[in-house]
Amino acid sequence: MESIEHILENEILPKVTKPLRYVGNEHNSIKKNWEEVKLRFLFAFPDLYEVGMSHLGLRILYHLVNEKSEYLMERVFAPWTDLEAILRQENIPLFSLESWRPLTDFDCIGFTLQYEMSYTNILNMLELGKIPLKTGGRDETYPLIIAGGPCAGNPEPLAEFIDVFVIGEGEEVILEMLDVIARHHEVFGKNREKNKLLETLASLEGLYVPSFHQTTHKDKRIVKRVVKDLDESYFPLKPIVPYMEIVHDRIMLELFRGCTRGCRFCQAGMIYRPVRERSGDVLREQARQLVKNTGYNEISLTSLSTSDYSGIAELTKSLLDVYEKQKIGLSLPSLRVDSFSVDLAQQVQRVRKTGLTFAPEAGTQRLRDVINKNVTEENLLEVAEAAFCAGWTHIKLYFMIGLPTETMEDIEGIAELAYKVLRRGIEINREKKRGKQPRITVSVSSFVPKAHTPFQWEAQDPMELLMEKQQYLKKRLKDKRISYNYHEAKLSFLEAVFARGGRELSDVLLAAWKEGCEFDSWTEHFRFDKWLKAFAKAGVDPMKIANKPGDIDTVLPWEHIDYGVSKRYLWEEREKAYGMKTTSDCRYEKCWDCGVCSGLDVKLSIKNEKGGRECGNQN
Amino acid sequence: MVIRIKYSKTEEGRFLSHLDLMRTMERAFRRAGLPLAFSEGFNPHPKVSFASALAVGVTSEGEYLDVELQEEISIEEIKERLGEALPSGLVVLGIKEVRERKKSLTALINIARYNIRVPLEDSVKDEEIFEAIEQLRQASEIYVTRSGKRGTRQVDIKQGIFRIEGKIADSNLELRADLQTGSEGNVKPAEVLAALDRQGRIFSGKQPRIHRVGLFIIERGEVMTPMEC
Ligand code: SF4
Repeated sequence: MESIEHILENEILPKVTKPLRYVGNEHNSIKKNWEEVKLRFLFAFPDLYEVGMSHLGLRILYHLVNEKSEYLMERVFAPWTDLEAILRQENIPLFSLESWRPLTDFDCIGFTLQYEMSYTNILNMLELGKIPLKTGGRDETYPLIIAGGPCAGNPEPLAEFIDVFVIGEGEEVILEMLDVIARHHEVFGKNREKNKLLETLASLEGLYVPSFHQTTHKDKRIVKRVVKDLDESYFPLKPIVPYMEIVHDRIMLELFRGCTRGCRFCQAGMIYRPVRERSGDVLREQARQLVKNTGYNEISLTSLSTSDYSGIAELTKSLLDVYEKQKIGLSLPSLRVDSFSVDLAQQVQRVRKTGLTFAPEAGTQRLRDVINKNVTEENLLEVAEAAFCAGWTHIKLYFMIGLPTETMEDIEGIAELAYKVLRRGIEINREKKRGKQPRITVSVSSFVPKAHTPFQWEAQDPMELLMEKQQYLKKRLKDKRISYNYHEAKLSFLEAVFARGGRELSDVLLAAWKEGCEFDSWTEHFRFDKWLKAFAKAGVDPMKIANKPGDIDTVLPWEHIDYGVSKRYLWEEREKAYGMKTTSDCRYEKCWDCGVCSGLDVKLSIKNEKGGRECGNQN
Repeated sequence: MVIRIKYSKTEEGRFLSHLDLMRTMERAFRRAGLPLAFSEGFNPHPKVSFASALAVGVTSEGEYLDVELQEEISIEEIKERLGEALPSGLVVLGIKEVRERKKSLTALINIARYNIRVPLEDSVKDEEIFEAIEQLRQASEIYVTRSGKRGTRQVDIKQGIFRIEGKIADSNLELRADLQTGSEGNVKPAEVLAALDRQGRIFSGKQPRIHRVGLFIIERGEVMTPMEC
């Protein structure tokens, strides 16, 4: 009998696309001796390797756990359909990258929930790992199934599959959780008394055990875990360097967590509060070590809104001074709509090869006030002008349609704005006597109401209306200098269903997966007809979930999950939206008492001003 | 300074594509603190040139790479630092300084030597296998189909098969083959296997193991390695 490892390596992997997705052994990856550790944790990313390896959370948790001698963490990603077919045919269980062991060999498996449309992949991976899908079907001999990440904000659709959810920032709680599990094994023996273990875990702050919560809203609240000081928190300085190209194939320097600009549709802006910066000196030292340990030729300054970092100009300058000579570039993935951002981009991008991206989000001032996107038309045109003058010829604009209170006038506003930017580009090119035509890309996504945001009560536009709006723009943006693209409305509809729905969706998910749904966010695999069948089978009306508004008294499926931002504050923000009143950023003006800082004993922390600053003008 | 590196691509590194390999090398040099020289211009590239691309899945103990460094560093030190910085899939076997480079590595080399092990069809007789090899040797032309940017075309590879020998060991055919490589032309081991297979009658269809023993230069009947010239 040939070993599975041998068959995989010699017979199976040579036949699949991109075998490097499955073999591990990358520089800085960690292979531990299984006999020398107390617990074996498998980090599971329900998408392809190149997507999952680009995720900062994976890098942080992988190295944090592996730095502890008593634990190990390995990785597994969703296999692409070619490998999946062979695994099924040959009856080979899904295996981890480091030691090529099947999923069932691990003590815990932790899935990360980055987007709703990866949920079918979770079921598929469990099944490929020969693990019963529902918590009830798994006795103590199976690994404990854990999940965390932004979509844990509404854990209910996955409640029947996951043993424990982590609410908030994983690095704050993962070691505590592993200690508890290891102690449980010592006292009761491995694979014993799962219920007792779950009880102990449920008593830890930030952990949610759904099987103990049948009527969610009346139960105890699960409060998120939060890193208090980013300078003190763990950050991996020897991250894995993949052999194959991944989506974000560069050093990620994390400037800060959280964003308090307060866009009312944005979940990240609510669940990662407050803003916590890492200081410039810490970042420079981390950059130095990361360059030395990875050999990457690019450093990305990441955060939710990079130009908002309090010491951004100084930081970019000091990094350029050191790394330009070494041909190591900088990139700024998220820029504010202002000319300062163009200056920054100009500094770091000597060659204007990629376009500049800005997100005005809505087409009229009225609607931008509703969503609290504090950007004016003047801002945008100024920025466009600055960018064209600086030599960029391609500008990308992001918009969202289907926002609360939106009318066709707002949609028309998107088109008008795009043409204004284009005209500005033509004028400048004419003045500068450049032969090149400007190019504008307009990318339009559809509003998805998300848990823990001021718009969590809002209905999504019916699919037909979204499509009508998309088609309207398609007709209006027929210009060869403008490229227009939009998200599939059916996908946004399903996202809304899973972002807002409750535990009844477990059966829908199961049915959809049985129909063969997987990799739903990959257009070539997305099968809406199968999803509709699944809803019918489970007796769930998806339109009631996505397209029906709620009000302050509605019991939301995530009522028991607490990110610190109070329901009162969210509702006030919603009321202000309808009154077209904006809310300023608590970093620069006053604290609006959203509830995070006082409730979670954490402070806004701005590191790069004289003496530092802790909390707005909080009184 | 310009250095020539001989390295191997191990079992762990066999799935690296040529692009993966280039990226991995560039990063390893940076980790090792060996400053690569870059081309001028808007989009500078490190001055690195490989002898010959190796197909995905193939291992090798004789790959070569020329690299220009910004500084003079002792060969011993380069060897040590690069060795530490490379991931387990790539191993440095030797380094020498190239003082005078007349030709690029690709233009220099012309033979690739392979050891190939192919699982045989159960029913196939030994004689038939040897006959197939002999026929390949005697043939005056061997056409294979190659697909390129402008569609597929037929190419005669016969002149690029310099030597081929085979023996049978536990239902595998073990081949040693010297095939043409370099800027004059390239014959792939898979093409030779396809020509030998006689429409699938000989090989079982299981994956062959292909190992490159090395790249050589044949000049006026003399065989040398890129380290020797
Ligand atoms: S409590 Fe105040 S300072 Fe803290 S995040 Fe909320 S609004 Fe900002």
